[in-house]
Amino acid sequence: MEILKISENDFMSFLDKKIDEKAEKVIGVVKKGSHFVFNELESSDKLALDYDVTMLPPKKYFQPPKELLLKYKPGNPESYRAVNNCDPMAIVGIHYYDLAAIYMMDRAFSEGERDEHYMKKRDNSILVGLYPTKYFKYRFAKSVVRDQAYKVADLMMVKMNGDYVVEVVSEKGKDFIKGGNFIENTYTLQEIDDAKNKVKDDQKIPISVELIPDYLGKNHGHPVWEVFGEKCFSCGSCVLVCPTCYCFDVRDEVELNLEEGKRIRIWDGCMLEDFAVCADGHNFRKEKGQRFRHRIYRKGKHLPEKYHYFGCVGCGRCQYSCAADIAGPVKVIKYMEDNKQGGQNV
Amino acid sequence: MCEDCTCGEEIQKNSIYLPEVAELVSKKKMTDIDSFFEFELKGHSLGHLPGQFAEISIPGIGEAPISISSPPSDDNKFEMVIRNIGSVTNAIHSLNVGDKVGIRGPFGTSFPMNNLRGKNLLFVTGGIGLVPARSAILYALQNRADYKDITILFGCKEPGQRLFTDEIEEWKNRNDITFLETVDTCNGEKWEGNVGVITTLLPKLKNIDPLETYAIVVGPPIMYKYVIMSLHDMDFSDKKIIVSLERRMKCGVGKCGHCQMDNIYVCQDGAVFYYDDIKHLKEAL
Repeated sequence: MEILKISENDFMSFLDKKIDEKAEKVIGVVKKGSHFVFNELESSDKLALDYDVTMLPPKKYFQPPKELLLKYKPGNPESYRAVNNCDPMAIVGIHYYDLAAIYMMDRAFSEGERDEHYMKKRDNSILVGLYPTKYFKYRFAKSVVRDQAYKVADLMMVKMNGDYVVEVVSEKGKDFIKGGNFIENTYTLQEIDDAKNKVKDDQKIPISVELIPDYLGKNHGHPVWEVFGEKCFSCGSCVLVCPTCYCFDVRDEVELNLEEGKRIRIWDGCMLEDFAVCADGHNFRKEKGQRFRHRIYRKGKHLPEKYHYFGCVGCGRCQYSCAADIAGPVKVIKYMEDNKQGGQNV
Repeated sequence: MCEDCTCGEEIQKNSIYLPEVAELVSKKKMTDIDSFFEFELKGHSLGHLPGQFAEISIPGIGEAPISISSPPSDDNKFEMVIRNIGSVTNAIHSLNVGDKVGIRGPFGTSFPMNNLRGKNLLFVTGGIGLVPARSAILYALQNRADYKDITILFGCKEPGQRLFTDEIEEWKNRNDITFLETVDTCNGEKWEGNVGVITTLLPKLKNIDPLETYAIVVGPPIMYKYVIMSLHDMDFSDKKIIVSLERRMKCGVGKCGHCQMDNIYVCQDGAVFYYDDIKHLKEAL
């Protein structure tokens, strides 16, 4: 893998040039109030790469909160047309755990029935990763993410003293940086490695992630589900901020003129009360504890058993956004460890 | 965000969410809330197998998953019985013959009719569960010589909710199959048949050989547990019990998450399962 470097100032000039060229939308992290968000950049001035966490992960560009799937004339099934916005984009400053999450999303949407609405957006995107430079108190990514980030990143940046070291991961990444003042790297691998690991996580899943699927399987009847479920407001914040959640609902919308209709998909989540309600009104996950367990099982058991990786990337957003202070997997597993049930826990 | 399509014809060709067009060719009321619909595709058959489902679209209202009630056929037609229970099904009920709908599918697994050849079939159906089961029943009757004894049990809440009443009369009169039905309650209606839940029919069956018989169970969620307990009493092994499970199917392509049962997407890995394969799942029954 080629390793280059660029000064911070030159990197900003490079981005301004990219923005002016308009070959793709350039998206980066900007400050919004006291928080950070991914947003399209009009210039590099607003770029805020020293961030702890963004409110939403960059998944919103590949699976938008409200996404157009079909257009049609209401009442005329012969008018259905599939539509998709797959304008090229480059997203700059994605932390490694959010890259790992994009890898997981790619697997979900590409395997089995291939979802071209998602995949075309991904095909036309360039992902520029960045090792975190700021501590976030709920993050536990180091204890759960393995090597997934480099499977989707086109470039990975490491902030050094006034420079970014840039690892050129893909051909697409190599093409993207053409024309920028990216020069030969002068930092040692040790210095780069130290910079990558400079920001520590306070949080850590208390058991090895490889053991979690079995651990959860043995603890289906653990009181944690009921105890935490009881506190849950079923607000769905945890699943809406999650970078690896991709469940959706599909709805029809008709314009007020009644001449144009849209079929859209919108974010949905298994923590919402009516997620598993059938046409006859039967709710297959009626209790809050059942929904809470399903969400943790999905991340910690079902996805690992299918894809062989832990389905949570440790970003900490769910714990941060949870009004009831229960959503974080670290918190859940810690509770289970602190309240072992007669040999059930492993 | 610009809503114009920038993917061009490619997405038109490859979208898994794009319905094709089917025409309503006949329609018949069955109960106060259930009607029979026959649809026809242009130029090709749906290509479904017994027990599969499809998504029916009404542009401007939405899409709903509906069981296919007819056996596979070459004439591009397929049948459904649809309960008027939500906005999409209400719109389907208001269609007239000649009107068109969108359709995606078929989706899901099917009753393993090939594996069942040479065996006895015991259909245990409850309420609207008869709708998907009928695709397998009619398939077995079309290929009668391929199967040994065929027994059909049907139970519903009250006489007014009976489905396919004309066909039921035919089934009753056939001497090469056994048909029994029951209602949970007469509800003041004239009814001279059995009264009681579906499991009360099972002890009436004589000479069921559990080693040579497959039970196909389709009904409301509450029914499975009790029917399976009764089948166990009759010495059925779990490998000889086939179920079709209801879940909230939304996308039909294993993405949206609504139908998930433990680690299984019922829309893709089901809805038809051997009970033996899913009995260990905590969320199955």
